[in-house]
Amino acid sequence: MSTLSINPAQDWPAADTVTAPVVQTQGLGRVVDDRVILRDIGLTLPRGGFLALLGANGAGKSTLLFCLATLTPATSGRLLLFGREVKKDAARLRARIGMISHQAMLYRDLPALENLTFFGRLYGVARPAQKAAELLEMVKLADWRYEPPKNFSRGMLQRLAIARSLMHDPDLLLADEPFTGLDVRASRQLEDLLRQLHGAGKTIILTHHNIAQSLELAGRVVVLRRGRVALDAPTGSPALAQSVEEILVS
Amino acid sequence: MSRVWSQIAVLAGKDLAIEARTRQTLGLVVVLGILIIVVLGLGLGPQQMAPAPAPGMGGAAAAGATPGAAPGAAPGAAPGAAPGVAALWVAYLFAGVLCFEGSMAVERHDGALAGLLLAPVDRGVLYLAKLVTNLVLMLVLALVLTPVAVLLFGFDLSPAPGSFAAIMAISFVGLAAVGTLFAAVVSSSRLQGGLLAMAIFPVSLPLVMTSTQMLIRLFGQKSASGLSGLGILLAFDVIYLVAGWLAFELVLEP
Amino acid sequence: MDSTKRLFGVLFWVFTAALFAGAVVLAFAFTPDEATMGAVQKIFYVHLPVAINSFLACFVNFVASLVFLWQRRRTWDDLATAAAQVAVVLLTIVLATGMIWGRSAWGHWWTWSPRLTLSLVLWLLYVVYLVIRPSIPSAQRRAVVAAVYGAVAFLDVPLVYLSTRLMPQDVHPTEVVLAPSMRLTLGLWFLPVTLLTVGLIIVRRRALALQSQTRAVLAAAENDGPVPATIHPTGGVL
Repeated sequence: MSTLSINPAQDWPAADTVTAPVVQTQGLGRVVDDRVILRDIGLTLPRGGFLALLGANGAGKSTLLFCLATLTPATSGRLLLFGREVKKDAARLRARIGMISHQAMLYRDLPALENLTFFGRLYGVARPAQKAAELLEMVKLADWRYEPPKNFSRGMLQRLAIARSLMHDPDLLLADEPFTGLDVRASRQLEDLLRQLHGAGKTIILTHHNIAQSLELAGRVVVLRRGRVALDAPTGSPALAQSVEEILVS
Repeated sequence: MSRVWSQIAVLAGKDLAIEARTRQTLGLVVVLGILIIVVLGLGLGPQQMAPAPAPGMGGAAAAGATPGAAPGAAPGAAPGAAPGVAALWVAYLFAGVLCFEGSMAVERHDGALAGLLLAPVDRGVLYLAKLVTNLVLMLVLALVLTPVAVLLFGFDLSPAPGSFAAIMAISFVGLAAVGTLFAAVVSSSRLQGGLLAMAIFPVSLPLVMTSTQMLIRLFGQKSASGLSGLGILLAFDVIYLVAGWLAFELVLEP
Repeated sequence: MDSTKRLFGVLFWVFTAALFAGAVVLAFAFTPDEATMGAVQKIFYVHLPVAINSFLACFVNFVASLVFLWQRRRTWDDLATAAAQVAVVLLTIVLATGMIWGRSAWGHWWTWSPRLTLSLVLWLLYVVYLVIRPSIPSAQRRAVVAAVYGAVAFLDVPLVYLSTRLMPQDVHPTEVVLAPSMRLTLGLWFLPVTLLTVGLIIVRRRALALQSQTRAVLAAAENDGPVPATIHPTGGVL
């Protein structure tokens, strides 16, 4: 049923946006064809947090991220974003979430500037073309604005994808394996961008395979194992990398 | 409400901008459509489609439309209406399926569909926007294919060009309503392309039957039953627009 | 409990078979041959009840599809599939008997009569339903897609029927004048055919449920613990 719609008249209670945790899940689970992908996930992420989500392939990282992005429904438990029930408010919440993944989520035949402008219009951004030009400047793609993404390298594509995810100035940025396929230089550039965004006050959740890089970037790490939270700890302690690796290997 | 319209315009505008750049769908579809008409023309045999009367061809209505047999017939009544209309519909159907497939394939690359689903846009709006894209593509298709069929099949549109356009336009809305929904099913489930034609054809048969019967009568001399046919076409449009709009959300998957 | 069920099942099929036997005897021994068509007319006693029951099966598929989309329980998907399978079998019989009838009554194997055309389109719709299903690997996804298709396909039925009436010639009897004994025979034929339809749908549904249970057990064996109950039965809709 297409019942989701946006009602600008009914605004957020001011308290919600400031004090409520950005992400809050209780007993979140997802079952597909009787296979439990996620089980009993309880996570709370305050505003401005930077969380690294680690786990072996198939541990449920991407599914969890897709659930948080409101792309995939959870089959059990509760999911609140910005203090709001996702089931009830998905359409409005989407306006505050940005996502990048190893897929660019862009139109390969549409020039970079037009791609961004399109997404800006879709989100109802004021002056989308100007915003797009600014973001292209920020991700150092201004010279390539009339070039379609199919001619881009992996690193350029990933930067354009970040620009796309920032078109509507989201409060929560979800990054699903964004480092996949990047060379060292592009990977470093992406790291800098993520740090810069975190510094600007964005809440970030990142899934990644590289333990050292994740621990260095994020303030907190959650390790998933077979759909459950196996470890949830702040980064910083020297022994952490060891214990994360043990979980991933086991 | 105005927000919905502007979102539809933005989404369909994006599809058409991509199509204008690549011409990957229309190029394919137009050539396929012309091929189908030529193949059907050759298969039916030139003697069946010559402007001379062709008795015993394509049902009672066409056979009865020979000018000599019916003195009251419109002067331009075309004897070749039945095979011409049938060939046109076959071409529209197959080429239409490729249109639906092509306009959905744009979303398949690089996870573009996920990008759309992330946006605060009602899924019903996504459906309507894709429908608009498909209708524009089919309009271009019809503008090319119809003259080809008129030429090769020697049937004459001049007695009622407006009615022809109206019947076709209403039929296209229904066809695109079904096709847009099933194209999303096939694309989201990563099925082979052949299945799309299989899913669309049987469902759109009432549309094809009604519209061909109406056109044959229109260009034959029997001009009766226009209204009941129109009612069926409109009912088809409404039913499948609502069904598609409701079901689109269920079948879309990033 | 299980043995009572089995006993009931055996009784059901014995009863149905007995009714069939009675109906056959009635049709051939006690009902007079029709004046113009002779013995071939007896095919009508099969044709009409089977045709009506095939619509019934399609309707069951439609309702089960809608309920599945609402509740998202696998049992409704199994029922919809079973109904579609039975519908295709019955529609095949309808088409075959209809063609035999047409051959002897009008001299053509096939006429584009409204009802034969409707049966043919229905047959196509539900054959496609059965063909699409196995090509979708995920059971959950398959069920959703099939339910959407099932709902959409059934909406087509009135439209197909109306549009066939626009077609030029109509040779199908719209009003059948039957002798009282013929009417009795026809009435009696409805019983076993309807029972057969219902029985087949139940049997197929149970077989399909068993298959999906097996798959569920196999899938769940890989899980780290039992499958939690889903609290959002409407699934897909956020």
